Amino acid sequence: MLEFFNPTASSYSGDVDSLVWLVTILVGIGFFAAEAMLFWLIFRFRRRDGVAARYVTGKEKHLKAWINVPHAIVLVFDVIIVAAAIRVWVIIKQTLPPADRTIHIMSQQWAWTFADPGPDGVLDTADDIRTTDELHMEVGKTYHFTLESRDVVHSFFVPAFRLKQDAMPGRVYTGWVKPTRVGSYDIACTQICGIGHGVMGAKLVVEDHAEHVAWMQEHSSQTAVATSDAATAAGAPTDSATTAPATVPATTK
Amino acid sequence: METALPAPLRRAYAILVAGTVALALVAGCGGAQTKAERGAALFRTCTPCHGDGGGGDTELRAPAIAGLPEWYVARELDKFRHNVRGAHPDDMEGHRMRPMARTLYPPGDLDAVAAHVAALPPVPSAPTFTGGDLANGQLRFSTLCATCHGPDGRGNAATGGPRLVGQWDWYMVAQLRKFQSGMRGTHPADTLGAQMRAMSLTLEDSTAMHNVVAYIKTLPTR
Repeated sequence: MLEFFNPTASSYSGDVDSLVWLVTILVGIGFFAAEAMLFWLIFRFRRRDGVAARYVTGKEKHLKAWINVPHAIVLVFDVIIVAAAIRVWVIIKQTLPPADRTIHIMSQQWAWTFADPGPDGVLDTADDIRTTDELHMEVGKTYHFTLESRDVVHSFFVPAFRLKQDAMPGRVYTGWVKPTRVGSYDIACTQICGIGHGVMGAKLVVEDHAEHVAWMQEHSSQTAVATSDAATAAGAPTDSATTAPATVPATTK
Repeated sequence: METALPAPLRRAYAILVAGTVALALVAGCGGAQTKAERGAALFRTCTPCHGDGGGGDTELRAPAIAGLPEWYVARELDKFRHNVRGAHPDDMEGHRMRPMARTLYPPGDLDAVAAHVAALPPVPSAPTFTGGDLANGQLRFSTLCATCHGPDGRGNAATGGPRLVGQWDWYMVAQLRKFQSGMRGTHPADTLGAQMRAMSLTLEDSTAMHNVVAYIKTLPTR
């Protein structure tokens, strides 16, 4: 049912959904049992003429059972939930399967920019494809990603992948994802990062091999020549242009 | 057992419900705003970076916008909205401006805020660097910039060149670098940007940029 509201498009999105279901069911059992008991007790011990209210200390063994048994059940549920959560955590965060491709994700106020290794499959080479607001991935390939922030704390969120990763400035985060379904999905920032946070979105396009190769061929040929003159004037504030690489492929926009 | 509320409480309850509904309706409808009022309201989104008076902020890398021509402000906002400007992966300042421009999607909003910015009194900006060969800068300005930006640097609507006098020097240097590096002026739809990029590439180095910008800072703003 979760997929009805939000498509699943990564190899581990089903694991996350299963965990959400497990938590919902176990917590739901406790919730409905407690509510049913509450309303039954309200009905069972409702006001009756000639029957005085009675103070119950709860010290008797058969009364204590009303606390101890649910308590034990909740603890068992908690152990099950924690065990399942650790399993999903290990799959997503503690495991790094071999990569078919590695991409770089940069966050800044208020945009996502991406670097795809291009036809040679190697990042930081001349045929890298750098894009703004749009990430292209090939279905069925295992991707490693490195995630950074240029300024403040952001959070990379792809609901269809069930993937969320904070990005603190100064740190490089490594993660992985394997897209499993072709389509177009949302990318959002889920860490309030300034006045433009609400519109800091991007588009993820998962495509098949032929489409991805066509996209690469189209964009790896688009280059904008940059000059190497990045000298800084005395007293002038440093400009971000000074950090531009010598050759900057054009954005897809 | 009597459960009905007393009459005064019933009246108070009815007034409360009616008042809440009326308030919700009034808030939902909203009053009609004039273009000037709308522009002033929208400008509040600009002030965190550009300042209350539109004078810019050096630390936030936000230029002075107060008093810029309405046609120029509207044109650049439209470029930001449609990723013609500010979408290059390395354009950090552009990435901050682009989403702000995107919020101006309701019809008339872009023009309203552009008119408000144009009506603001220009805010003087002090030089942030000293030196520079003014004679060389004047020569480069007259041969490269004056045609589009006017011999007095006050802009030229016919050629699409914005006013330069009164602008922060660091901002002008930063934009020259962006044009040179291809962060600006490389989008296929940015024909004026392509012209500016060609001009910027004739400035052979950083010294030439600073010479011409230092000269612009000597031009009278009024």
